[in-house]
Amino acid sequence: MSRTKRDIIPYLFLVIPVLIYIIWVIAPMFYTFYLSLTNWNGLTTPEFIGFKNYTKLFNDKVFYISLINNLKWLGVFITVPVALGLGLAMMLNTAIPGEKFFKMTFYMPMVLAMVVSGLIWGWMYHPKGGLINTVIVSAGVMAKGPGWLSDRDIVLWSIIIVAIWRQVGYVMVLYLAGLKSINPQLLEAATVDGANRWQVFWGIILPLLTPVTVIVLVISVIDSLRAFDLVSVMTRGGPANASSVLANFMYIESFNNYKMGYGAAIAVILFLISLSFIALYLWRVMQDEMEY
Amino acid sequence: METIREYFKSPWRVLVYIILILSAFLWLVPVITGLITSLRTYDEILINGFISWPETITFENFKTAWDRGGLSRYLPNSFIITLPSIVLTMFLSSLAAYALARFKFPANRVIFFTFVGGMMLPFQVLLLPVFKLTDFLGLYDTYWGLIFFHTAFQLGFCTFMLRNYMRTVPGEIIEAARIDGCSEIGIWWKIMLPLTLPAIAAIATLEFTWIFNDYLWAIVLTSNDALKPVTAGLATLQGQFVTDWPVIVAGALIGTLPTLLVFLFLQRYFIEGLTLGSSK
Amino acid sequence: MNLKKMQIVFGLVLVLSLILSACTPETVTVVEEVEVPVEVEVEVPVEKEVFVEKQTVIYNSMNGDPDPRAADEEIVKRFMEANPDTEVIHSIVAHEDFKTAIRAYLTASTPPDVLTWFAGNRARFFIDNDQIMDISDVWESEGWNESYPKGFQAMSTVDGAQYFLPTSWYWWAVYYRVSVFEELGLEVPETWDEFLAVNETLKENGYTPIAIGTKYRWTAAAWFDYLNMRINGPQFHIDLMLGKESYDDPRVAEVFKYWRVLLDNGYFLEDAAAYSWSEALEPFIAGEAAMYLMGDFIRDSLPDEVEADLDFFRFPIIDPSMPIGEDAPTDGYFLSANAANPEAAKAFLAYLGSVEVQTYNAETLGRLPTNSGVDRSLFTESQQKGMELIDGADFVAQFYDRDTTPEMADEGMNAFMAFWDDPDSIETLLADLEAARQEIFLEE
Repeated sequence: MSRTKRDIIPYLFLVIPVLIYIIWVIAPMFYTFYLSLTNWNGLTTPEFIGFKNYTKLFNDKVFYISLINNLKWLGVFITVPVALGLGLAMMLNTAIPGEKFFKMTFYMPMVLAMVVSGLIWGWMYHPKGGLINTVIVSAGVMAKGPGWLSDRDIVLWSIIIVAIWRQVGYVMVLYLAGLKSINPQLLEAATVDGANRWQVFWGIILPLLTPVTVIVLVISVIDSLRAFDLVSVMTRGGPANASSVLANFMYIESFNNYKMGYGAAIAVILFLISLSFIALYLWRVMQDEMEY
Repeated sequence: METIREYFKSPWRVLVYIILILSAFLWLVPVITGLITSLRTYDEILINGFISWPETITFENFKTAWDRGGLSRYLPNSFIITLPSIVLTMFLSSLAAYALARFKFPANRVIFFTFVGGMMLPFQVLLLPVFKLTDFLGLYDTYWGLIFFHTAFQLGFCTFMLRNYMRTVPGEIIEAARIDGCSEIGIWWKIMLPLTLPAIAAIATLEFTWIFNDYLWAIVLTSNDALKPVTAGLATLQGQFVTDWPVIVAGALIGTLPTLLVFLFLQRYFIEGLTLGSSK
Repeated sequence: MNLKKMQIVFGLVLVLSLILSACTPETVTVVEEVEVPVEVEVEVPVEKEVFVEKQTVIYNSMNGDPDPRAADEEIVKRFMEANPDTEVIHSIVAHEDFKTAIRAYLTASTPPDVLTWFAGNRARFFIDNDQIMDISDVWESEGWNESYPKGFQAMSTVDGAQYFLPTSWYWWAVYYRVSVFEELGLEVPETWDEFLAVNETLKENGYTPIAIGTKYRWTAAAWFDYLNMRINGPQFHIDLMLGKESYDDPRVAEVFKYWRVLLDNGYFLEDAAAYSWSEALEPFIAGEAAMYLMGDFIRDSLPDEVEADLDFFRFPIIDPSMPIGEDAPTDGYFLSANAANPEAAKAFLAYLGSVEVQTYNAETLGRLPTNSGVDRSLFTESQQKGMELIDGADFVAQFYDRDTTPEMADEGMNAFMAFWDDPDSIETLLADLEAARQEIFLEE
């Protein structure tokens, strides 16, 4: 095989996927960048207005509420579900009666459509008749249960709990997969050498799981920035924007208020935030690539 | 029986088991609530409250959702959209992944990072342009409009996962095949694909749930009722004026069943596949 | 890389997508045929022979709720029976989604021909952007200029031409549980003081005076509409909606003072923001809450035994010197400007506006018809009472989110929710609203 021909081969493999990707994902993304510089109501031709949308955005209270909510979501998402998922995976990694049942149980929320989860949890959170408050009140914890979805201080956390409920199973499956790939002899050897469970976990298992952890974190970041469906179904960002996140804010501005240019500007910011997180990750991948 | 007694000899294991049972119960509560709800009537729930002893158990809600809610029509649509999307995505991403995993060439990193970057994209960003594009291509209000978008958008994630997986395939196998005179496409087809099958099965399972559960794109890229997938169909059950929750929940449960079954069926692949996909 | 190869592949992808799109269901073929209208007898060799002789009308509606949905489907069925040469392709889209997707529908290369929509500002926007077809000829030929009251005609007219077909409307009022009022010996309140007294009595006796679910915000907007019209008069209200009056006007602040009395006294249902409007019906149905400010569609969601115990009264008068304004939203239809088959679409529209269809809707759904040709003796007692309510009004508004622009409505309703949560913040909220108003209406 000649040298030049050999050089072309990877491109032949790539041409169709990359083209499709460019047409449906990359080009539209750049079009969104352009739209963010226009005033567009979705019907007329977009009118170029420079960075006006952005100056307006940076003076918009709702933008900051949404941004901070996204960051809270992200902070919780890269810790709580990861820890819970890892914990469950550790517990379920050994042969245990009913193993299949447990795995199914924790994975199930992930299979449900977001719309369905949001709906069912909306019931759970129902202020008076909802399961949670019924339990709280009848157990005598409080005379009146909290307004899970109506109290501005709680509402975001109520939604995040649902998101965690969904996410833990996913994380668990990934960690279980990672754990299966660890050579048991390695652990046996460590135990023989006198290491206790805790030392084995911190000293051997966790470091070996690092690649899985990276994937888990990446997925958590993506999911927390994309958060939309649950908010949209459960509160629509309310009350008074208390549970607004950027994706939802963008959707409402674009499609409810028909400020498509403004919505595009929010989308661009959301993208830039994602990018800064992914840059970190890419940098890590790059380090590995060097060894390869 | 003996093995179970053996298992619980250690008190530590008993503790773990109790924790597991409690968490599993917590995890199941919402779904059980949904199930019970779907078996009751709306009027009764409104009058007696959500948490009350059911006076009547009825499957009427499922029937209503299926017939009047049009789920009998929407459910097949979901498959018509989801299955080709998965086949196309897996096919195309395995091509791209192979090139990215096994070849050194100048644009490799740029292309790889573009895929990874795109997969992180908050997809709401693409809503307007993709609608315009789909309309421009004459695919608006067709199954293919949705299929193409899902295929394209999921390429990022699938390529990323598959490429990582393919890198774990020992290079010797491929070199050996090359020396035997196997063409690159032959290597991809005869060696790479079979070896990546567990990963493909796993990712396809994930993709199935994602594409099947999509709602946003379904309502933006189609307007004809006859084409709508089950998620968008469910939403038409839920209008502004009347919200009959038991029927909606019943419909939601029907709509969830396929993803649940697919997961059950492919669970083994799923776990095995991700083993390598997630550990570089 | 090889540019030629790239072009070939790109071409392939395009061709492929075209071929693929050609094998999707009938609609596509159908739409293409539409370009040869009326010529029924012409034999066109098209793959899908079933529809060759038929004209098609694409009809998208937002009547997703069970009862209206059934009625909608029935109407389409009847039309097709009467017009066997026309095929109506009917899609029902959920209400909220329809509002979101309508721009996509209208700007698509094959837009639906007939669409449901709201009268007022929300239709005006599309008319101004040339998305709606001039249907003056239908108004003329169907004699609607005579058979529709002047108000409805004016609502549909822009620059002397008609663009909209209003078909039904409903009223807003304070609905209440008769049994609860009887038990406590309460009279229907006519003034604000009487209304407050009723609330107080209800509360003292352990009832939630007013049910409301503000999850989707618009229920709160109804309170703003009514308080503003009762305190400042309908003229001020509508000028505010049109951006001609400012939100930092002391008269607007006054509205919130009245509103606050109800909030501070705890007359509204607790945790209102957690409920959609229909979830908030729960205490109303259970007989724990006594009143609900709502449109007449409230009936659609009530069990029969509760409906029998239901009555309504006019929102109490606050300033007797002010003319009386009421909210009575009107729904209807329009044709998209780029409708593929205007003739068939107009025929369908004519049917939708006919006495026959309006009578059917009035009977099955209890909506009030716009066509004066509908026999009023068919109306139920409650419909009669609703019409009297509106007849007694000096001014009829649509509703907050139909009278003002979508952006302003969004800002406004968010401010209502923030006020609900923290009434002390009203000064800042109004200042923000005023800033938003200036920006929104300056842009126009």
